[in-house]
Amino acid sequence: MEQLITVENLHKAYGSKVVLDGISFNASPGQIIGLLGPNGCGKTTLIKILTGLIKDHTGTVRINNEEPDAYTKSIVAYLPEKSYLPDWMRPIDALDYFTDFYKDFDKDKALMMVSRFGLDLKQRVKTMSKGQQEKLRLLLVICRNAELYILDEPLGGVDPAARAKILDLILENRAASSTVLISTHLISDVESIFDRVLMISEGHLIVNAHVNELRENGKTVEEVFKEVFSYAW
Amino acid sequence: MLGKLLKHELKQSARSVTLIYASAAAVIAFIFIGMLTKITWIGVVGSIVLYLTALIGVVMTLVSVIRNFYETLYSNQGYLSFTLPVKCSSLLSSKVIVSVLWIILSFLLAAVCFLVIGMNAKATAEGSMAGIWDILELSGLKEMLPTGATLIKLAVIFVVTVLLLVLTFVSFVYFAVTMANTRLLQKHPKLFGFLIFFMTYGITNAIGTKLTYSLPLSLEITTTDVNLVFVAMDKAEGMLSYGLGGTLFMALVAVGLLFLTGWIMEHKVNIK
Repeated sequence: MEQLITVENLHKAYGSKVVLDGISFNASPGQIIGLLGPNGCGKTTLIKILTGLIKDHTGTVRINNEEPDAYTKSIVAYLPEKSYLPDWMRPIDALDYFTDFYKDFDKDKALMMVSRFGLDLKQRVKTMSKGQQEKLRLLLVICRNAELYILDEPLGGVDPAARAKILDLILENRAASSTVLISTHLISDVESIFDRVLMISEGHLIVNAHVNELRENGKTVEEVFKEVFSYAW
Repeated sequence: MLGKLLKHELKQSARSVTLIYASAAAVIAFIFIGMLTKITWIGVVGSIVLYLTALIGVVMTLVSVIRNFYETLYSNQGYLSFTLPVKCSSLLSSKVIVSVLWIILSFLLAAVCFLVIGMNAKATAEGSMAGIWDILELSGLKEMLPTGATLIKLAVIFVVTVLLLVLTFVSFVYFAVTMANTRLLQKHPKLFGFLIFFMTYGITNAIGTKLTYSLPLSLEITTTDVNLVFVAMDKAEGMLSYGLGGTLFMALVAVGLLFLTGWIMEHKVNIK
């Protein structure tokens, strides 16, 4: 089967600190993959390499058979953990920006989402609450008809009641053939939607399995996670 | 995509400079009211404010060019810029074009401000409004000005030189900011940015100055013609001479630095 993501023997170090050490995995279209691991294990670094934000690594990284470049960026919708929209920007500006640069951005759907989220099209990011900013960033990503969605801690700053709604939104809006890679530490909230799970520990990929394999012993993904990373607590 | 990048770059950067232009326009209007109503204090206060506005305008434009480049690429906003489906060379080109445009506009604004201050001074001295020609006469420059084709040649040389100077400044700044955001230096990007800028700009300027005087390639300027001559600047004849070695050297270094900056952005920059 044609792979959407191919990572082979990926290494990345910051000075003498090795962050990713020989990571290899593939992801085929249509899967929802959980990227799990304790803080500082290298999840965000892996995501940054996949999205082309970090270049000085060794090993092979391919998205749809291309190294991260302008083409792969056109088919990847990325939600970073950080707030990246400038203070002066308003939702209307952000929608224009995404319409101009991403052919797969559905502006009508985005306008509908803005209204559904109760956002004001002319309110500057600077004056929005943290929750409103997160909603805006999320809608910019899910209103793209991308082949790959990479979501770095999408539920991090969201209250428990909103988490389920956000997950529903992601599932409702993605194309069936698209792949979703979700990095999160809120496993119990998300594990029901995972097809596969990748667990990273100290730069090594220690679990790369289908969720059904993990649940064979009647355990949840979170319980497996706690077993695997018991040293971290 | 370059057109779209330019559009959004202009939109982003315009916010910091339009306030300066609006202030200058308001002060100029204030001075003209003073000249028309012949109320002297309006012209005096207006001229002082306009002088400060012109200086602050140039300084603020330069600062905003540097800040805008850093913030849009190497702060959190870099997550937006570097994940756009465009090549880094396009990203860089749009920023260079828009920055050069704003700097040139701020220089033009400063020139207009000084012209208005001069007109106001003449009007205050003689009790009537003065034109550009009168100001030149007042300063004694009118007799020295060449005419016709020579004037056009000089104007072209002046415009090209200013453009090259601005492009050179922008390329050195962008190179320094980008280098300071590579993995080895990004712990102290401001410190390394300043150091790299002053070192590279200082060294190349020193070499450029030497080449201006020593390279046998100069312009001989007289009131009737401008000629390219293959002698060093101090050996050229004519009313004025201008050594081209330094300008050409700086232009080459600037272009080289822009290519290098694009390459570093493409291959070496890690977004924090």
